[in-house]
Amino acid sequence: MAEESSMAAAELLRQAELLKQGAEARLYRAVFLGRPAVVKQRFPKRYRHPVLDERLTHRRTVQEVRSILRCRKAGISAPVVYFVDYTSHCIFLEEIVGSVTVRDHIASTQETHPNPERELEPLADGMGQILARMHDEDVIHGDLTTSNMLLRSGASDLVLIDFGLSYISALPEDKGVDLYVLEKAFLSTHPNTEALFDKLLKSYAAASKKSPAVIKKLDEVRLRGRKRSMVG
Amino acid sequence: MHVTQSLELFPDHKVTQVLFRDVKNAAELRQSAVEGKINGALINPTMLVHPFQVLVAANKAVHLDKIGKMKTRSLYSEVIFNLSPTNNISEAFKRFGISDGDDCVLVVLVQSTDESQLLEEITAKVDGRQVPVEEISSLSDPAKIKKLYKVSPLEEKCGTLLDAVVCRMATKDVM
Amino acid sequence: MCSFMLVFQIIAKAAMTVVIGFEGSANKIGIGIIRDGEVLSNPRRTYITPPGQGFLPSETARHHRAVILTVLQEALEQAGLKPADVDCVAYTKGPGMGAPLVTVALVARTVAQLWGKPLLGVNHCIGHIEMGRLITHADNPTVLYVSGGNTQVIAYSERRYRIFGETIDIAVGNCLDRFARVIKISNDPSPGYNIEQMAKKGSQYVELPYTVKGMDVSFSGILSYIEEAAHKMLESGQCTAEDLCFSLQETLFSMLVEITERAMAHCGSQEVLIVGGVGCNLRLQEMMGVMCKERGAKLFATDERFCIDNGAMIAQAGWEMFRSGHVTELPDSWITQR
Repeated sequence: MAEESSMAAAELLRQAELLKQGAEARLYRAVFLGRPAVVKQRFPKRYRHPVLDERLTHRRTVQEVRSILRCRKAGISAPVVYFVDYTSHCIFLEEIVGSVTVRDHIASTQETHPNPERELEPLADGMGQILARMHDEDVIHGDLTTSNMLLRSGASDLVLIDFGLSYISALPEDKGVDLYVLEKAFLSTHPNTEALFDKLLKSYAAASKKSPAVIKKLDEVRLRGRKRSMVG
Repeated sequence: MHVTQSLELFPDHKVTQVLFRDVKNAAELRQSAVEGKINGALINPTMLVHPFQVLVAANKAVHLDKIGKMKTRSLYSEVIFNLSPTNNISEAFKRFGISDGDDCVLVVLVQSTDESQLLEEITAKVDGRQVPVEEISSLSDPAKIKKLYKVSPLEEKCGTLLDAVVCRMATKDVM
Repeated sequence: MCSFMLVFQIIAKAAMTVVIGFEGSANKIGIGIIRDGEVLSNPRRTYITPPGQGFLPSETARHHRAVILTVLQEALEQAGLKPADVDCVAYTKGPGMGAPLVTVALVARTVAQLWGKPLLGVNHCIGHIEMGRLITHADNPTVLYVSGGNTQVIAYSERRYRIFGETIDIAVGNCLDRFARVIKISNDPSPGYNIEQMAKKGSQYVELPYTVKGMDVSFSGILSYIEEAAHKMLESGQCTAEDLCFSLQETLFSMLVEITERAMAHCGSQEVLIVGGVGCNLRLQEMMGVMCKERGAKLFATDERFCIDNGAMIAQAGWEMFRSGHVTELPDSWITQR
């Protein structure tokens, strides 16, 4: 019986447009209940022990929808969840129509603008603010990159996506690592954006009341990589 | 005036919604439903924001039915249960089912493609005036809905009330 | 001086270049000789501690001091070379443990001066990568570098090695070693090897924490969990020591394969090279191979001779640097723990 329903999702996705083939999930565009939707399907990773694989896949599906709801309740934009199929590990989400990733937006601004730094400052401010609000809700995204933030068409409104590695934690350590992950992704994806990222952090610090402890942890984590002891 | 939509995931299933106002026999209808004599879900439309909400509930009900994981005894009770933000079944019926004094009813049918006569059968049982399903929005009680689903003004900044409601319905089993 | 170096390089390019490499950044002391991509010799000794104990810097340095001249003699004899045949002396300048690094650097400096050869300080990580590339002929791989002191996913982009993912706390080998101490697994020949053998007899999968953050991993949570729970689980008969070895490997290696795949997706890479001591674990290689096959990518790995710290890898990285005109002047021949 379970297979029958998994088949239903597979059948729908067979005719859907594949948007992205990721390392652990495929993203499709489809019409769902008459609306434009994006379907995220996690597929099994055969290198993993099947028990571990099933637990991880299930947990990540659950964490993803939980964090989305938690963010939305706090007024942080994330796609609406329409339906979750835990047998085929599919999440049916609202499609953010006409949006671009922050990654593409930064890249094109850097190419076309004479002073991209200044042009992108309001965006860095916005990113800092939305992350501060997310962390104030104790949502740790787990995979912050500029590809996992969308800009709605013609608006400065940011939408957070891809909460597969997210979890709930109030620890400054976890929030600091979240920012560290973003910092590395940001600087490796966008050359010469140190000042811009600094702007983002300043805006984060200004927007969150709990930021001093988080920024302190971020500084610690940055150092940790270089201070790792081999003695044990 | 009724609306029939097919489910993309289950192409052999269609969901039909029919809205009635000035209903005079709500108590009788409710009794028939309890006795299992009505092959449809009878829903209190004041708790609905939009017909899409019903589609989300029906799709989930068919899915859970197919994998044998329904929380209630029938597909129609499952539709009603899925509308509720909580996992309390009697609470779901109290809020989303009809009460004896109600004067409007949304009838929801989930049918295989070849069962078209059902619609007439049920329509005949309702002593009321059929109106376009779109009128749901004029019947709905946003204040009551916001209270039940615990939707804060903050959340409405990033989406509509329908978004807030649907998101809770889709994820309530892991909350 | 400048013209001397220039003449020297021209000669070096015409003839074959022989480099001797000294490695001793952790508990292995190895000396290897490379002649234009050919490993002429690569002897090694390991400082093995009793079960339940790790290796400490001063004792490890003492071990290295005691055997280094024997190993040097072996290296020259097996290669059939005299000191005069050597063109350059390379040594590990770090990262690693201070005292052993100093010990080995001291010998390398002395030998270079005695023999009148140029000296070259080599980064240990680059040594692993260059050796891996030499042995496997991988062209432009995403590198998983996994050892007792390091856990990194490295890729070559924009003309330099860049770290895409790494551990945010302890190294994977350190996690394995410390687990071995918890349940008193022998350190001979290495704790990792013994865990691998025991894991083959494990069957029950025990769930452990699994922590991937973006392209980074964290192992300290797993270690403290298993340190806390291992004895209880073993005493209650909930699982065997073999099951724990099996479950730990499955969990740690899944995390490593996952971040490697993420880095590959990020860089569009189609090759993986595994280096470092943990890299000779066959289960890790098998899992990585499955991932690569599904992506249509190629896996490159080496065996324990070259995965585990050795002198030839330092010689090989030194050879590359020497051929491109680098040498380390005596006052600059320091070491670094980081």
